Amino acid sequence: MTALTDRYVHAVLRAVPGRQRADLEPDIGALVADTIDARDGDERAALAELGDPSLLAARYAEGPQHLIGPAVYGEWRHILTLLLPIIVPIIAAIVLAANLLGGSTVGEAIVAAMASAIGVGLQTVFWVTLVFAVIERVDAPGVGPKRAWSVDDLPELPDDGRVGLVESGASFVFSVLVLVGLVWVQLQSPIVIDGQRFPLFDPALWSLWLPWFIVVMGAEIALVAAIYLRGRWTVASAIANAVLGLAFVGPALYLLQNDLLFDPVLVAKLTEIAGGAWLRPTTTIIGVVVALVVFWDAVDGFLKARRASQARVTASRHPGGPNPPPRPAR
Amino acid sequence: MDFSALLAATQQELRRGTVVLACLLLLGRPGYGYALLDQLRDLGFAVDANTLYPLLRRLESQGVLTSEWNTEESRPRKFYRTSPEGHRLAAELLADWTRLDESIRRLGLAAPGDSE
Repeated sequence: MTALTDRYVHAVLRAVPGRQRADLEPDIGALVADTIDARDGDERAALAELGDPSLLAARYAEGPQHLIGPAVYGEWRHILTLLLPIIVPIIAAIVLAANLLGGSTVGEAIVAAMASAIGVGLQTVFWVTLVFAVIERVDAPGVGPKRAWSVDDLPELPDDGRVGLVESGASFVFSVLVLVGLVWVQLQSPIVIDGQRFPLFDPALWSLWLPWFIVVMGAEIALVAAIYLRGRWTVASAIANAVLGLAFVGPALYLLQNDLLFDPVLVAKLTEIAGGAWLRPTTTIIGVVVALVVFWDAVDGFLKARRASQARVTASRHPGGPNPPPRPAR
Repeated sequence: MDFSALLAATQQELRRGTVVLACLLLLGRPGYGYALLDQLRDLGFAVDANTLYPLLRRLESQGVLTSEWNTEESRPRKFYRTSPEGHRLAAELLADWTRLDESIRRLGLAAPGDSE
């Protein structure tokens, strides 16, 4: 082997997953040596014939050579085109209103709203893509690109058989209220002590975590909307719901446990009034309750997804059974 | 797309599985990559080393080929051989190929004049 060959083999091996490397090395070495022999020792011509090392590596590599394959690409695009036009304007409007209420000039408010819109758009694309890239690589029944499609997977016509409007409407309104409340207790706080207004959360969190929670709540709203439009819970939406729950509760618990969540001035004021003994038990209780609620919400998503798929299996096995498919009311 | 590009793309589609079948049939006798490549080219299969070697490896991982490193020659060579499973697959594919050939021939006989 010469330096050129060594470099070629190295370039190929570098582009295949680590666990395959040791196993592949003799194969690639033999391929290169055989090709050089066939070219009567012209190493350069042989390597040129073998071509781009990364393409050769791709031919050897196992597993998908793409982020999102054709089996889930359509759904990925569908969800993004559904989410972006909902999330981005809502967030932009909220940030605009919050800034105006908070006393910014119109120009500042517009700049902040546009910055948030761009940030939220990028966040949405990133998280949706991440979830789908994981789905692409998961090979479990009911998830992943290898899942068998059945006629029952067809979405309902827009007229009937939706996830309950009340249920969706309630969680939609709840999420929007939480989102608005989050911004409101910060900018127009109702907490007034001795004539002084205190924001609930530490204003330093505006640099990262408050926008983060706003984005996560926005995504949650969009997810509720997407599930409502789709008509039923699926494993994918349950995963997205769980990921959002984690994205919310993780930082929240971290901030809570490290006393970074609430406005330190407010905490100092309350401690001054009521002593310091209440603080630790209160944050612990809040943390446990929030964690339980989010955990239950995540589990509930999977239960609903399973119930939805079982209901469809039952309906297809017993067309006249307890859950007859609704007739189009026309 | 001009005609030659269209032809090349369609031919590639049409020939995709045939190299697999040819390998399974040829490797009834053990052979290593480049010897097999020469045989295939002599038979008129357009295939390159940089597709054949990964293909052989994939067929081995699918259990239709077995391999063994031969260290007796000047440098180690990986010899492939069709497994019993591979022979079964080859027989099925061959039968399929024959059926397809007959069908296409019948179409070919019927087609001229129809479209004019």
